[in-house]
Amino acid sequence: MRFVVAVKQVPDTTLIRVDEHGSLIRQGIPAILDPYAEHALEAVLGLKKPGDTVTVVTMGPPQAEAVLRRCLEIGADEAYLLADAAFAGADVHATAKTLSVFVKRVVPDATLIICGKQAADGDTGEVPAELAQMLGISQFCYVTQLKRNGDGFLVTQDYGDEQRDCRVPAGSVLSVAEGDLNRRLPSIKRYLEATALPITVLNRVQLMLGAYSVGLKGSRTKIVESHAVRTVRTGKIFDGTDPVKAAAHLKEML
Amino acid sequence: MLHIRELEPDSPYLIDESKIRGHGVRLLVPDTEADVIAAVRDAADHGIPLTVSGMRTGVCAGCVPEGGDVLTTEKMTAVTGVGRDGRGWFLRIQPGITVRQLNDFIRKKGYAQVVDVTPNAAAALTAEMKTYFYPVDPTELNSSLGGNIATNASGPRTFKYGPTRDWVRRVRVVLSDGSTVDLTRGQVRAQNRTLNLPTSAGLRTVHLPTYTYNRQVKNTTGMLTEDGMDAVDLFIGSEGIFGVITEADVYLAEAHPLMSNILFFPGDRDAYAFAAEFRRCGISSEFLEFFDSGSLNLIRASRLDNPRFTEMPDLPDYAGSALFFDLPYGPHLTDDYAQLAPLIAAHSGSLDRSWCGHELRDRERFFAFRHAVPQSIFDYVARLKGASPGIHKMGTDMSVPLDRLDEMMDDYDEVLKRYGLEYVIFGHIGNGHPHVEIILKDLDELNRAKQAYTELAQRAIALGGSPSAEHGIGKLKTDYVRLMYGDAGVAEIRRAKSELDPQWILSPGNMVTR
Repeated sequence: MRFVVAVKQVPDTTLIRVDEHGSLIRQGIPAILDPYAEHALEAVLGLKKPGDTVTVVTMGPPQAEAVLRRCLEIGADEAYLLADAAFAGADVHATAKTLSVFVKRVVPDATLIICGKQAADGDTGEVPAELAQMLGISQFCYVTQLKRNGDGFLVTQDYGDEQRDCRVPAGSVLSVAEGDLNRRLPSIKRYLEATALPITVLNRVQLMLGAYSVGLKGSRTKIVESHAVRTVRTGKIFDGTDPVKAAAHLKEML
Repeated sequence: MLHIRELEPDSPYLIDESKIRGHGVRLLVPDTEADVIAAVRDAADHGIPLTVSGMRTGVCAGCVPEGGDVLTTEKMTAVTGVGRDGRGWFLRIQPGITVRQLNDFIRKKGYAQVVDVTPNAAAALTAEMKTYFYPVDPTELNSSLGGNIATNASGPRTFKYGPTRDWVRRVRVVLSDGSTVDLTRGQVRAQNRTLNLPTSAGLRTVHLPTYTYNRQVKNTTGMLTEDGMDAVDLFIGSEGIFGVITEADVYLAEAHPLMSNILFFPGDRDAYAFAAEFRRCGISSEFLEFFDSGSLNLIRASRLDNPRFTEMPDLPDYAGSALFFDLPYGPHLTDDYAQLAPLIAAHSGSLDRSWCGHELRDRERFFAFRHAVPQSIFDYVARLKGASPGIHKMGTDMSVPLDRLDEMMDDYDEVLKRYGLEYVIFGHIGNGHPHVEIILKDLDELNRAKQAYTELAQRAIALGGSPSAEHGIGKLKTDYVRLMYGDAGVAEIRRAKSELDPQWILSPGNMVTR
């Protein structure tokens, strides 16, 4: 089986601060493998059997190679970096377009295409669904559990208000919502093996994509303005030491 | 302003991490050096003992008063200056700032508000592209720099960076008569073993002890003494008995990206035999920490029910002992691993039986592992306490030269088994200084542990080591000063104390008794 995991390099959002104007301060913040993408990769590595191949792909600037290297360290077998100045400024549509063309041309034999449910920086969560639509295949989003089931798979999807267990045919797109916090650490042996593995870089021309299909030119979304939202909590604190009084307060409020 | 409060019997200012509770009358909280001078003069005028206290993270009761007043430096937390000399960048700090606060300050580059000690230093350091940090890591990052200097604190990173002493450029100290002395390294040196301190009230002469101070191992037993010793070193590691540090300059180190590594070995001996070779092979590591099989088993037990261990990876079944070390992350890393691989294999380890990680979030998990050991010992003692309340533990702090470490490890096994005690061993093996935590189930075991401890301290000294490598002496280990230097050595420390503090008002009871 061949598992294709689409990953993304994001700033470590746990370290991001906001300046006095409400703008994100990205300077000095390390770029990391998106935690949701890492969950996706972990889910796949948990399924992997001898003879299977785990391919990771990301669209990003040359420095995004670092997250692919990390994927290789964790256990991926091969890595592709889709890098081209023309890819810059891609929205959900242009990103899904580029990834879909990559799948069709480079890994048409993919058994599963797995993404994180969203990226920790953009937070749209729409790329997996658009990718499935462009490839004309089924999509299963918000996956929390993934198992093998003969030639196909069994997944649990978590929609917040409902959970669904589904049989998934080979050749589907999944987005993984959560993973084990207790994720694996590579061994030194694996780290050394990963440093020796090549990362294949593909540009727009190699993918045979038109200049107006990718990046800012291929995007359907135009950001007119962005601004920070400040919320003020108007919560009140009541003394709850006397349960009778506390219950009366609650009753009054409800 | 000098704030004064009464000390209640349950005051946190009467206790430190040794859990020994002292007694005292007043708590004095100075904002400035002038307040410290006023407090010391008042103590001198009335003959009241004054115990100096930092963040009370010590484990030898150094800040625990045996009467009199407590002076805490906790309000004096500013970084006041920045400068550069031939060695590099330094910051001028007040004594109450913690290691964590200092490193946060450096990370945020808050230099705009501080004074230039050397011309244009603040602007130049702000513009520097390199990253800096204060490298001494006494494990407890909430410890104060004043406390670190007064105890010559060290920790895992001493393996690469040395103890606090190596990072102090200057100290400013209030002496027992309220005079001050401002010493920069290189300015005042002892003539043989005699120091003449240029204080604000004239020259003060101190005769240094004549014993040989062991600097070949990690050592905080007794006061430093050497021919031609720098006067700055008189106050570093002096446990507050000679004066109150009110300001210091500390150097910064350049930070490098690092790869954290944990190697698993089948047994304890494999790990520390490899550790000895690792130290010799010349690869630059930040530290080298050891965990014996007992430590790993306690972690396994704690993982079952302590939520703090959630993010820690499962310990593999084959892990019988472990070594934790950081290597510089860069082009040389693969060469370093290639050099280490045969050494690891020679001691029944393998590169496959390891963890590594270089991203911050991974490295944090390694440090969580490091801290899991003391936590899991705590959990274990807590579980036992359910069965027998009053149970406790006793930690050793002995260092020996690396080429004698094997013998010391054998001694730990032999002595502790002979006394029938349960123990685990972990810590700074790279400095010949693993900690042995003896788990005590009853009073009888406590008494046996004390005997075993003294026996082990004697063996450490006989092997050319120190009975107190980094925890200091405080009020709990004064016997080991005598063990190491004899009655004559103790008398010489007393003489130095009396020369600088004739009434013995400053932190009395630390290092030597009157």
